[in-house]
Amino acid sequence: MIEIRDLSFEYQTGKPVLHDINLSIKKGEWVTILGHNGSGKSTLSKLIVGLLKPKTGSVVVDGLTLSHDTVHAIRRKVGIVFQNPDNQFVGVTVRDDIAFGLENLQVPREDMIERIERFAQKVGMTEFLNKEPHALSGGQKQRVAIAGILAMDTDVIIFDEATSMLDPKGRRMIVDYMRQLNREGVTILTITHDMKEAVLSDRIVILKEGKILLDDQAELVLNNRDMLEQSNLELLLPLRVRHALKERGLKHPELEALLWASSSNK
Amino acid sequence: MKNIVIGRFIPGSSFLYKMDPRTKIIVLILLMVSAFLVRSLSLIAFGLMLLMVVLIVGRISVKRVLLGLRPLMFLLIFTFSFQIFFNTAGELVFTTTLAYSPGGLGVVVLLWFFWWFTRRRIPFKLLYFLVVLIASGTLLSLFSYGPIFTTSTIEVYSQGLEMALFIMLRLVIIVTLSTILTLTTKPTDLNLGLEAVLKPFKLIRVNTEEMAMIISISLRYIPTLLDEANKIILAQASRGVDFSEGKLKEKLMQIVSLLVPMFIISFKRSDELASAMEARSFVPGRPRTRLHQLTWRPMDTVALCFGLIILSTVIVLRVIGW
Repeated sequence: MIEIRDLSFEYQTGKPVLHDINLSIKKGEWVTILGHNGSGKSTLSKLIVGLLKPKTGSVVVDGLTLSHDTVHAIRRKVGIVFQNPDNQFVGVTVRDDIAFGLENLQVPREDMIERIERFAQKVGMTEFLNKEPHALSGGQKQRVAIAGILAMDTDVIIFDEATSMLDPKGRRMIVDYMRQLNREGVTILTITHDMKEAVLSDRIVILKEGKILLDDQAELVLNNRDMLEQSNLELLLPLRVRHALKERGLKHPELEALLWASSSNK
Repeated sequence: MKNIVIGRFIPGSSFLYKMDPRTKIIVLILLMVSAFLVRSLSLIAFGLMLLMVVLIVGRISVKRVLLGLRPLMFLLIFTFSFQIFFNTAGELVFTTTLAYSPGGLGVVVLLWFFWWFTRRRIPFKLLYFLVVLIASGTLLSLFSYGPIFTTSTIEVYSQGLEMALFIMLRLVIIVTLSTILTLTTKPTDLNLGLEAVLKPFKLIRVNTEEMAMIISISLRYIPTLLDEANKIILAQASRGVDFSEGKLKEKLMQIVSLLVPMFIISFKRSDELASAMEARSFVPGRPRTRLHQLTWRPMDTVALCFGLIILSTVIVLRVIGW
């Protein structure tokens, strides 16, 4: 679905933010990009939809190589939910905001009304359709953002730290939607530094100082304590317990399995 | 800060709500032009009466309209008193002599001291000020004790009084008209209406769609930015900045400490918003379909005719010298 080859980017010459990134995301996959602040992970999402122009390398989405001519076609396939719920709410009401992307795609009005109803229902915002953004919580605004993207019929959704400004309840809800959408076949790319979010994905890519440090199955990455420590990320608590048990020579396969299960309640 | 609500929409269901925003904007312009063309007091008073009828039939609370007039109170009183005291045309209606004696002045000074210390506790500050002003005038004209230093006369002429009333009524009409528009029209509809009304400007290469987008985004972000400003005020207050007190110089510093973070935050916000809009396939200048559509009803034709009739009547009356 997404092929990134030898991608490099810099805001200022001589200070590369991303360096020779190679990444391939399959259709229907759920990939997490994990990294500390300043690792270049958000820059990567902007490069994929052509909001930034790479210095070298290429991005191919669903067979289309990102360029000036294909950027609009690619944006129809890839939607982004950004970090700050307030700064991506364009409409005056929930209804207007879901409609915004559809209006841009010149969807006929009748079709638009039907899609707004359908996707507002999907994210449980039907009763809020006429509400203004300042009457909504952060989690509700992010749900509206998801509905807005789903209504545009995208194949890939990038969650660019979409839960980092939410309260625990809102965060859980958004993560639940990620899981549900992934089951329905949507390719998901989450960009985060939250391990609890990463644990649910199929694959984790650790980014450090603009380079890919590790790219492997979620379970393997999450248990790789050395690598996580190297990139200033903390091991999940149950996994920390498991490691501590191992270090002290305590072997208890059942407990170990339980600890893993509790950290990745898929 | 929360009280700054510009043109607030209040939900309702009268005919004014069902009218097309385009009609409302056009009729508003027609009636405003009429109000400026009218030259006699009786006609403008008749206009205000007509407007009252519209308010009642449209079930709009007069209180709301009065609230809309509040920011203009100072201007109203200023023009009113200016006309009353300085327009000396027509007949003399009222005259009085103010005598400045130690006793009278003393009482007046005491009165103003009293005003100075109590004004913060009185809800209607402007009204209170006016009452004290009139009271001190009355005191000076009626009460004198000891030698009189000097005297001055106040004279009110018929034309001055008439003009004062006339200008006040005209202002009231114009503000009431625009208040009706904003009270009964949703910001999105208002925006659509404006865009439609401004369409002729496309001929001189003004991009009306982009302007409409700018207006709608500004409307969307007013509450968000006010919240932000409140947060900054609280943050600065917790660090010892007092926004309610201080001399002019201190006030200026306080405003700077509010404006600088506001500007930085707004720029960051707009940058992120631009990214979000682009990511959702927004391309400036490319045609878009619209969720909201305006529908023209028979009622709108009637309203438009009403506006046109009023304007033409006023023009005819003006030509024949009314």
